[in-house]
Amino acid sequence: MNRHPHLWAAAAALLATAAGALAYTLYARYTENKYVHAVAAQDHSEISRGTAIDRAALKQPDLLLIYGASELVLLQTEYEATQFFRMYPTGFMVFNAATKGGSSLTVAQRLAALGPDLRGRRVIFAIGPAIMTMAPFGEVAQRHYAGNFSELHALELAFNPQLTLETKRLAARRMLDFPETLAGNPFLIFTIRQLAQPTPLSTLLHVLSWPLGRLQVAILHLQDHYATVEYIHHLSAAEVTVTREPRQVDWQALIDVAEREQIENTDSNPFGVDNSQWPKIKELFVSPLPPGTRDDDFINDVTIAREWDDLKIALRVIQELGADAIIMSSPMNVPLWETIGVSEDAQNTYYELLHSVVDPYRIPLIDGKEWGRIPYFSMDLASHASRKGWIYVDQRFDQIYHGALP
Amino acid sequence: MWIRDSIRSIMGHSHSPLGRILLLSVYYLAIIAALIVMYGKGNFSSTEFVYQGF
Repeated sequence: MNRHPHLWAAAAALLATAAGALAYTLYARYTENKYVHAVAAQDHSEISRGTAIDRAALKQPDLLLIYGASELVLLQTEYEATQFFRMYPTGFMVFNAATKGGSSLTVAQRLAALGPDLRGRRVIFAIGPAIMTMAPFGEVAQRHYAGNFSELHALELAFNPQLTLETKRLAARRMLDFPETLAGNPFLIFTIRQLAQPTPLSTLLHVLSWPLGRLQVAILHLQDHYATVEYIHHLSAAEVTVTREPRQVDWQALIDVAEREQIENTDSNPFGVDNSQWPKIKELFVSPLPPGTRDDDFINDVTIAREWDDLKIALRVIQELGADAIIMSSPMNVPLWETIGVSEDAQNTYYELLHSVVDPYRIPLIDGKEWGRIPYFSMDLASHASRKGWIYVDQRFDQIYHGALP
Repeated sequence: MWIRDSIRSIMGHSHSPLGRILLLSVYYLAIIAALIVMYGKGNFSSTEFVYQGF
């Protein structure tokens, strides 16, 4: 001890640091579990690139986790699931983890980051036809991917022992298509590049970097816990108060009320498009086309969409982690697409491709096709749920939670 | 440098090996704490971007 005082002191300091980190992690988990119901009712995008609060939500039997994209977050309305279920009217509340600009690739990484905690847990992966039918080459926009990218999620996927090398390789190859999200992070670039290459040397380098990768993930988890606890500490007394008021829900009456409200919010146009969305797409409706005149273009666009490959990656992650997942699609807005020249037959290509991609994984799929012709269900071409549409979606969540579906 | 000199000065007055290790431990812990304060805070908030829809 006399000969190596620095060695002993360094060891003692590292041990004390590790003990402190462990104690803080336990305290953070306790806090997250205690307040996760309160967080579920808030806009928690401030901590959406972490995993701590998602893990806490997964443990709660009365929270239904939903991942997805803007279809489930764009319209601010009292019928949106977070608002609708906030008082647990039928015994549960949603934990809406969907994000604007979300895509299958970001959801794949986010689910992968939950690792073994996902096994056997019910989650809904809500998808929509927008990226496949409207985005150039059916590809998620760079800015949307970058806005949702998380180093923690990416590294958790890369160093997740439950996922096969093939799944990680497919994800890594796609992640390299968005280089700006990797820039400035040499270890992340190294990791993703090694994973993407199918050579024995790359695989060896990835395996050798495993301890460093797990250490980096552990540090990011500590930071995530800190950010989550800080977020919770900033909630007001009213915000952390969770009220449960069970009641009978008259779904049909709600649909009637929501439809009237939706009609009031579409008075800027004759096509049933929500006033908030009409300015963005009105030029498409200057010269309406007979249904069928744009079928070929539509079928080509939806067939070549890269989002299908990303959806396969997400499905592989779900399957390999053993999640009890349900894929739930928004419907095509059939009458609106017909107005711009795409027949219903051509629109059905989306559902055919959706089933051809999802069905082989034996993950339950609710395709939403029966909603496609319901007036005022969607508020635009991109299938964002309207006020009325939200009631149908809420009812579906309720059926899923209570085991009536699928 | 003054921190290092101060530590050396304190060490010079500590004749007990255990006291010396204790002081060194505090010194290393202070370094770790400083590193955590400087680099420890992560950012898990969704990047601000204008969602332009489709």
